[in-house]
Amino acid sequence: MTLRASSLFSLEGKTALLTGASGFLGRTFARTLLSNGARLIALGRSERLDAMSAEWAREFGAERMRSYRVDMYDLAALATVLDEIVAREPAVDILVNNAYELGPNTGFNTNGGTLEAAPLEQWMRHFTAGVYWPALTVQKLGPAMKVRGQGSIINISTMYAVVAPDPRLYEGTAFLNPPGYSSAKAAMLAFTRYVASFWGAHGIRANAILPGPFSNTEETGSNSVDAADPFLGRLRDRTCLGRLGRPDELAGALLFLASDASSYVTGQALIVDGGWTTI
Amino acid sequence: MEENAIKDLFDLTGRVAVITGGAGLLGYKHAEIIARAGGIPVLVDLAAAQPETKAAQLAAEYSVKSLGCAIDITKADQVTSLLEAILERFGTVDILINNAANNPKVESPSGRAWSRLENFPLAVWEADLAVGLTGAFLCSQVIGAEMARRKKGVIVNVASDLAVIAPDQRLYRQEGLPEDRQPVKPVTYSVVKTGLVGLTRYLATYWAHCGVRVNAISPGGVYNGQPEDFVKRLATLIPLSRMAHVDEYQGAILFLCSDASSYMTGTNLVIDGGRSCW
Repeated sequence: MTLRASSLFSLEGKTALLTGASGFLGRTFARTLLSNGARLIALGRSERLDAMSAEWAREFGAERMRSYRVDMYDLAALATVLDEIVAREPAVDILVNNAYELGPNTGFNTNGGTLEAAPLEQWMRHFTAGVYWPALTVQKLGPAMKVRGQGSIINISTMYAVVAPDPRLYEGTAFLNPPGYSSAKAAMLAFTRYVASFWGAHGIRANAILPGPFSNTEETGSNSVDAADPFLGRLRDRTCLGRLGRPDELAGALLFLASDASSYVTGQALIVDGGWTTI
Repeated sequence: MEENAIKDLFDLTGRVAVITGGAGLLGYKHAEIIARAGGIPVLVDLAAAQPETKAAQLAAEYSVKSLGCAIDITKADQVTSLLEAILERFGTVDILINNAANNPKVESPSGRAWSRLENFPLAVWEADLAVGLTGAFLCSQVIGAEMARRKKGVIVNVASDLAVIAPDQRLYRQEGLPEDRQPVKPVTYSVVKTGLVGLTRYLATYWAHCGVRVNAISPGGVYNGQPEDFVKRLATLIPLSRMAHVDEYQGAILFLCSDASSYMTGTNLVIDGGRSCW
């Protein structure tokens, strides 16, 4: 599917900051923003970001792209990077808080991630990623948005912010979805509404996207699933549309919220889940 | 990748879209964005609203095909004839926007507080439900079923912020009137719009396996020359501090009608300037 959109959804002349830019969903968000005219400031942790940024610069032009590698759990380093961005980029129009840690340290797919076992450190990593990272980016970039009287903040949450994972999906598998994930992503929705409420009068909009099952079958890692794994069949059966989402099926939602096409939308949670939460 | 060879994510070229209430204030704007995206708008409305004239106007302005049909959507046989006329003319139907609803001014020239719950005429209750709910049901039954047979289609139901929150009746108060004469937002508006959200979820699961997606939008109030003090009072209830402009729902309509929302079904997209978030 193409990621390009009509003029109503154009991001021409806008600058977007995206965290987690080299991840499974992040790289589709990056291409979506670039394909529709935005300049992109990409934040990411892994060395993959360097290769992807180079590719995006080749395809869309070096002047359209700037990237910063940072471990966002190093909060001092994150603050420094954000300060540098604010100093160099007076006009960031779009902020996409997408970064998250989906791995053993946040209890994914390990026995240490169960409701019975999850330790404080794991809970704090969830709330740092789900709430404090968006809070810090909003605090750093928000003042300039307020001065300019415009800005669109998009927080990437999950359907598990509004419904709980069903434990039967995981029975007999090596997969586990930890309680901190649902909790921190639900808190992210509350934060989204708070920003919408307090900064709405300044022309700043804040919304969330709640993806359903978008399993990473593209690569091998701590948050990936083999395309032939029967676990995916359980996920498919749980949706209304009977299939998993593809990353490019989030492009429309991102463009809608990032562009002026959603100029009267704020404080909302946009659910893209194939009907998972409808039943 | 060849940028100019890529089809637009929000493109509706050749898709036939039925818009009930299509000659009205918002219905016409929905039809307009369908036309701008290359689709074929079919404006359905009562004869008095002149859907044929409005459809011709759209066709001329955007160089697209269009059709205007003067029918009463509360009559099953007329909805069936509508589908036949569309299939005969265009051979397909791809999109249904259930937009028609009664939305009378809360003040009545007679001075009688007809809109108050205690006075609300049964005939008005029945007429409002007939247009808003029965009309949406019949159009879904006839046109939605056709899309299900074709294994492809989209339904968008136009609900309201009043499907999510209750009316704040203080908005409609008039100084100097006794309590039992104060105008209010009619009860049918909340009931019809909330009912449409239920219809949305029902149809979403009912036709999920047939390739028909069903979603709702819940728009807030549109600025349309209302009295200044009303507009001011309403603005204080909204984080963005203003009513919507008439074209601010076009993005959501196009998003939900196009393949840009291919993994969305059963949702209610609230477009209310933040009114329901605080």
